[in-house]
Amino acid sequence: MKIRFKLNNKDIEYDVEEYKRALDFLRDDMRMTSVKEGCGEGECGACTIILNGKNVNSCMILAVELDGQEVWTLEGLNEIGDTSIQESYIEKGAIQCGFCTPGFIMSTKVLLDNNPDPDDNEIKEALEGNLCRCTGYTKIIEAVKLASTKLAEKNTTVADKRGEKNAV
Amino acid sequence: MQFKYSKPKTIEELSMLKSNYNAKLLAGGTDLMVKLRAKSCKPEIIIDTKGLGKNEIKFENEKVIIPLNTTYSDLLKNKKFKEKFPMLVDIIKKIGSPQIRNRATPIGNICNASPAGDFLLATYLYHGYAYIKPTNKKIKISQLIDGPGKIKLKPEEFIYSIELKERIGYEYYYEKVGKRNAMNISIISLGIVLKKKQNIIEEIKIAYGSVGPTIIRFEDLEKSVIGKEITRDLFDWLGEQYTKRINPITDVRATAEYRKKMVKNLLIKAFYNLNKTFQEG
Repeated sequence: MKIRFKLNNKDIEYDVEEYKRALDFLRDDMRMTSVKEGCGEGECGACTIILNGKNVNSCMILAVELDGQEVWTLEGLNEIGDTSIQESYIEKGAIQCGFCTPGFIMSTKVLLDNNPDPDDNEIKEALEGNLCRCTGYTKIIEAVKLASTKLAEKNTTVADKRGEKNAV
Repeated sequence: MQFKYSKPKTIEELSMLKSNYNAKLLAGGTDLMVKLRAKSCKPEIIIDTKGLGKNEIKFENEKVIIPLNTTYSDLLKNKKFKEKFPMLVDIIKKIGSPQIRNRATPIGNICNASPAGDFLLATYLYHGYAYIKPTNKKIKISQLIDGPGKIKLKPEEFIYSIELKERIGYEYYYEKVGKRNAMNISIISLGIVLKKKQNIIEEIKIAYGSVGPTIIRFEDLEKSVIGKEITRDLFDWLGEQYTKRINPITDVRATAEYRKKMVKNLLIKAFYNLNKTFQEG
């Protein structure tokens, strides 16, 4: 079945098997290998993508369901230079084997887009659907906080620059 | 897994497909995709209900109408819903994870007819009704459920929306026993709504999940305590009645013995939670 959708801000038209999962389609056909298969049944969140602004498990969605929708993967965030979250994870050592990291970053992105300054509990709730077997989560929570500070700084510099322009 | 996919745009088209094929309806897909992967269901065709669109959540006459394709996240984002149905908000927050709640739908939970269905349990306490298309019937949700995974619908029928009644002036208690917070399937769950005057029960509804083939409620036991004073003794007695009647099974999540003990213990816990003034006094 032919589907048309937006992947990382690019228009895609593709003829995809009706029974294929979004996870397999994104990895095998679109080569978005940041999307990982962990459990394949919605428990671990390694396959998390952003669909219309919400984090979802791509293992629980059919590729054909993407028709007409807007999808972001970690590759897309890198392409547009939206890397503050990723940098924060690296800086805080919130990565060990790295398998779960793309999923965590996508869930963090949705959290910070909706709540730029979350407290510990809000972070824990937002990342509840992502499992990490290496880091023990403490560093991940620190990384989310760092990302929140970085993004706030970025926004104020952008605002300052705008202010300067207006002043000129 | 191999199947055809269809996303009909009208009620008639959806209904025709559903009655003509070995079909499964797909809304959020958070249960269906697991079943397809495990090959525990092998439909010829998957019918995506999202082609019918998503109507708004409506509030009228102390009731909420939740339409097809409404997700748990949609409900959690709805200010009026949060204000009017705090117990349901508590229940929904314990369902799955953000990723699941962004896809999964209450109507899907009802149609799965799982005895562990968290939202299904709530519909037993909130006078839940389902509107069925294309036959335009309105059926009490508890009467629709016909055992684990079984729902009494004709091949052409599907649930188009559900209705829940507000419980104004009620207190509530909800507990879901499981091994972790997120992604938990309950070992046993208990939901109670209670209306009292001073310390006398005016109305009480008690529903257990995961201890039988479906959600369990005994209206005769509920009625038998109306007009009685809320005491630890009364709840002990009630707990014994439920323990006598409920026969849970052993499965991967817990043993029958554990569940049976918990039937009573949860009710005692409910007593202390519902009756905080008693505790403080």
